[in-house]
Formats: sequence, structure tokens, C-alpha cells
Amino acid sequence: MNAVCDLPFEKKSVIPVDPRTKLFLTITVSTIMMSGSVGSVMNYIRPCLAILPVCLLLFSKRWKAVANFSLTYFILFALEIEVLPLLSGFWNFLLGALVGIYTHILPGFVMGYYLIDTTTVSEFVAAMERMYIPQKIVIPVSVIFRFFPTVIEEYFSISDAMKMRGIATLRSPMKMLEYRVVPLMMCVVKIGEELSAAALTRGLGAPEKRTNICRIGFGVVDILLSVIAVFCWAAFLIW
Amino acid sequence: MIKLKNVNFQYMGGNEAGGLSDINLSIPDGQVVLLCGRSGCGKTTLTRMLNGLIPNYYDGDLDGEILLDGENISKLPLYQTARKVGSVFQNPRTQFFTVDSTSEMAFGCENQGLPQEEIIKRVKQTAGQFAMQPLLGKNIFCLSGGEKQKVACASVSVSSPKIFVLDEPSSNLDISATADLRRLIQLWKQQGKTVVIAEHRLYYLRGLIDRILYLQNGEICAELSEQEAHKLSSDEQKEMGLRPFDLLKFPVKPRHPAHKQTFLCSDFAFGYTQSKHAINISSLELPRGEIIAVIGHNGAGKSTFARCLCGLEKKCKGMMTIGENRYDRKQRLTRCYMVMQDVNHQLFTESVEEEMFVSMALPEREQAASFLERLDLLPFKDRHPMALSGGQKQRVAIASALVSGRNILVFDEPTSGLDLQHMEEVARELTALQQIDKTSLVITHDYELIVSCCTYVLHLEHGRVQAQYCLDDAGIERLQEFFLGSR
Repeated sequence: MNAVCDLPFEKKSVIPVDPRTKLFLTITVSTIMMSGSVGSVMNYIRPCLAILPVCLLLFSKRWKAVANFSLTYFILFALEIEVLPLLSGFWNFLLGALVGIYTHILPGFVMGYYLIDTTTVSEFVAAMERMYIPQKIVIPVSVIFRFFPTVIEEYFSISDAMKMRGIATLRSPMKMLEYRVVPLMMCVVKIGEELSAAALTRGLGAPEKRTNICRIGFGVVDILLSVIAVFCWAAFLIW
Repeated sequence: MIKLKNVNFQYMGGNEAGGLSDINLSIPDGQVVLLCGRSGCGKTTLTRMLNGLIPNYYDGDLDGEILLDGENISKLPLYQTARKVGSVFQNPRTQFFTVDSTSEMAFGCENQGLPQEEIIKRVKQTAGQFAMQPLLGKNIFCLSGGEKQKVACASVSVSSPKIFVLDEPSSNLDISATADLRRLIQLWKQQGKTVVIAEHRLYYLRGLIDRILYLQNGEICAELSEQEAHKLSSDEQKEMGLRPFDLLKFPVKPRHPAHKQTFLCSDFAFGYTQSKHAINISSLELPRGEIIAVIGHNGAGKSTFARCLCGLEKKCKGMMTIGENRYDRKQRLTRCYMVMQDVNHQLFTESVEEEMFVSMALPEREQAASFLERLDLLPFKDRHPMALSGGQKQRVAIASALVSGRNILVFDEPTSGLDLQHMEEVARELTALQQIDKTSLVITHDYELIVSCCTYVLHLEHGRVQAQYCLDDAGIERLQEFFLGSR
């Protein structure tokens, strides 16, 4: 199954983590953090899970993201520990809810950011195919990945055109929306049509099982991370 | 062996151009066939029949038989046709399914379910043949148009179909990328593949073609060998709406240098990354009221220069001086105007007239009408801009610039993918703008357009000004050297 493939692929990750492991971790972190159960062991596990994605980003040399997320964490915890006890009544409730939502959701978000920022589309598609996800899901998902950057490109071109016409600011917001969206729709429809024609002439949709030459696979790091995740699940489900 | 027997086709929706009638044709294996003719003559339709997109993707009334080695293509599912026929399309932006060039090369074979080792072997082999190892493993969105087209051709080649169908593959390419394309087609020819190309630009195919089919109104109305085509006089070629096989044969009109006023661009420096400047021009003096061709290879900084001139790049601190007046970036946004390559991006409203009003500080019907009349758009003033033809849309964009009093217009590749007649139409528009004293800068790879109307050349290379000259006799020689010398 694993032929030695020394063809170069676009590379985004620094530490080799399989997309499937990343996906598993994302689910783990977001579920456990969101559910907000507290217990003796969970008091240790929760902070670890919050820090895990930041560590992964750190090892992947995403300095800017690490700085941003660490700062956000720091502010949130400072608020929770220093400011929250000083407030009472309505304000306590408001700030408590706000901080609570953030600390529950942010780690999952950071993990998702790591997943997307360090995985190329080819790796992701390969991972889905290895997980036996049906073609009916794999193909639309890969089209979405392909489409996003295209739509963004088009959007910026239209913004430029509006700037030159001097219609980027002021005037009624509804008009602005219309000016942006109508040309965008026109372009997107045309691109979509040409894109699918091209894909069909390359044999997409054949009944044979597709092969995928993108190399993904589990390594030491994957095993380590999976063990951590499984342990967290066990702790979460038992206590 | 491709065989078409009494084929008729009409697109769904009726009277649209591009239908075909009574096509009888047989193409033996290994032949390189050029389809040419005016826009809307049915070239693209014919290519779509060969790769099965008609009738499997584009709806319409088809009768007759399209046989490939005795099998009726129109009855086969597309994925089976795809094994025999590979297609390359006009727009390099929209023919990729993946985001990674290596995956893209493998895509066709992966769909066929070939074993991994086999695919890897083939991808390597093709990359070697096309000398494109440096392009492997790149994000498609980081490649230039020429590089994308090269990856597209290579990807099709990996699944080694018998027949290659190319629909205007050179329209978005510069001269050196076009030369690369020529080499790829040459390679296919040597491998004994059948190649069918629908194309407007003919010069780069010189010496490769076995057979030329000239289409008019959906019928094949002439069949020539390449030698016969070379013998056509330039009047005959013009009559047929064909661009020349030999660029040197295209009629040129040397201009006389007129001592006009100039405008000055100073300190135009800009880079997309901090370390590297895409352009770095400390001072550039250009004549006013001329049609200036901006030439240079891909990545020379032509578009970046145009964007800075129009005030679209915030980080570019350059100044433009006209006479006594200095214009900074924000002021340039209201002084200059760019007609984009995809003009659909800059038409926003529901009617042509409204499009004028949006650009006017005080909407005045009569003034708008006078500008529309000048550009032959008055009869269409109530039409929706998106319902107009490509040339008309371009004119609406120009009119909206004129009505807001712009003096400098920038055109980004206004003639990519146009036939001779439409190219001449653009040339006439540009000349008309010069007559009302507007300055035009035309970013282009189109030699025929430059010699038809431009009066001045600005040659950029590596973000700097390589040369600037007037298109008099000596200037035309320099221009020819740029276009033909680099072949």
C-alpha cells in the first residue's frame, strides 16, 4: 500500500502529524473542553488540553499564531482570576459567562486552526479517502477547498474595481452589498462551470476506486498524541 | 482515427452562436489539426464534441455520429472518453481540480484507479520530458498564468491519451510561455499523438501543423495545408479574419515622434513581500496623449506598476506629476482608471446608463448620453451590462472612466483571446481615445495590437524600466527584436 513516493508535494507542516490524528485531536479537545465537566482529574486535564494546540503550533513554527493565542489565553485567565471576584451581581454574571464561553470554545478553535493551517488539501483528501468516506462527500469537500481561494481572489478584484470607481465607501449599505455580490455571483458561476467541465474531461466520476499518491501515514508523533487523546477520553468518560 | 459524419449541433436556447452544421470530417492518427476562424464560428463547439463535453455536459440538439476508433463518443460516459482524449482549456485559472501541482499531475490517473507506483513513475517521466521538475509540489495559486498552463498540459499528458484537444491555449500567455507551449505540442507530435487546436494566435504553431480547417458560421468552409496558408496574401488573411502566421508580415505603421508634454512617475517602489521589490522605479517620464504599450515578460512588474499608478496599492508611496500638479495615491484613484482583463468585475448596475450615473458626481442624462454616443453605446443604454458582448462591456467600462473625467487609462491585456476583427476593434477604440487627448497604457503580449495602434513602448523587466522608446522605424525594429528574438 505504501509505495515509496519521493515526489515533492506542497508542504505546510513542520512536525509530521497525520491529518487523521489532527482530526481526532480536534474532536477530543473541542468535546471535552465544551462539556465543562469538573472533577479531580479533569482539573488537570482541562488546562493540558487548552495548552496542547498552542504547543503544536509552537512546534510547527507558527510564531505569530502562538503569540496571539497565548496572549488571549493570558487575558482570559487574568480576567477570570483577578477581575471576576471583584464584581458582583449582573456584571459578575456577564463577565463570567463571557470568559466561560471563551475558555470553553477557544481551545477547540485553536486546534481547528492548527488542523487547517498545517494540512494541505491533498493530504486532507487522501486522509478522507483512507477513512473510507464515500466519494459523494470527498469530492464536494475538495471542491470547496479549491473554490475558497478563487472566490477570495475574485472578491479582491471587485473591491479594487469599486475603489477605482469611488463607490467603495458611503452611500447606502444595500447598494454596496449589491455591487459586491452581483459581479461576484456572475464570476463564481462561470468559474464553477468551467471547473467542472475540466474535472469531467479528466475522468472524475469514474466508477473505479480512486487511487491517491499523496503520502500520509502514522508515525511516532501520531502514536504519542493518540495515546494522550485516548487517556483524556477515558478520564472524561469515567470521572 | 476520429470520424465525424453529418454532424449538426445547436446549443440549448436556440439562436446562440457557436452551433455547427453538416460537419463531415476524418482525422487520421498522429495528425496535428488547427481549427481557425472568427469568434463564434464553432471552433470551441467542435473541440467540445471531441472530448465528449457535448452532449454530456453542454446541452443541445445533436445529430450525426462522432466516432473515435469506431466508437460513438457521444454515447460513452465522460470518464471513458477521458482516457482517450485529453483537454486543455483557455483559462489557466479554472482548469485545476486540486490545489497542489503534483496532485494535479496525478489527478487523471488517480481517477482511473491506476496503481500508485505506476502513477508516480508516469508523473516523474512527464515532469522530466517537460523540464518542469521545479514546478512540482507548488501551490497552484502561487503559479503564474504561463506556469499554470504548463502544469495543465503536463497533467493531461500524464494519463497519456491518444488525442489532445486544446481550446485557445495561448490566450493568457506571454511570449516565452507561448514558446514553451509550442515545445509541448512538438513533443506530442513526435510521440505520434493526434492534436486538435482551436486558436486565434497562429504564429507560434508555424511548422507544426499538418492541416488547417477554416470554419465560418458553423461550417468547415476551407481546408488548407500549412504551405497553402502561408501563401495567402495579407488581404486574404484579413478577409478570413486570421491573425498572421508570420508576425513580420503583419502591416506596421511607423509613428512620428511628436514632442508632447509629459508626466512623471517618481518613487514607484512596491513589493508583495518585504524583502523583494516587485517594482522599483525611481523616476519615469512618459509622454501624455499617447498609446503606450507596456511590455515585458511574465513577472516583470507590468501589472504591479499599473496597480500602483492607479493608486490601488496602499504601500506604494510614489507620486505622479503632471505639469505643476502632484498627485498622491488617493488622488490618483480618481485620476486614473484601469480596464481590467476580466471586465465583468467592474460593471455593477442594472443598465448601461445607470453605470454612467454611478461614476458621475452629479448625474446628468445629457452628458452621459454624449459619452455613450461617442463609444457607440447609445442604443444599448437601457440594456443590462452583463447582457452585452465582451467588446461592448469593455466600452462601457471605458465610458464610465471618461464620464468621470479620467485622463489616464490603463488596459490590462485587452485583447487576450480575441480574433483579428475584435483586436482591430480594440485598436480603433484606443486610437479614438488618443484623439480626445487621453493617455492610454496598454499592458499586452499582443504584437499585432501594438503595431496596429500603439505609439510608444515602455519595456519593463525585473521591476525596472528596461527601455522606453517611440514607435518610429527604429522603435518598430526594437519591438520586433523583443517579440521575435526571444523565440
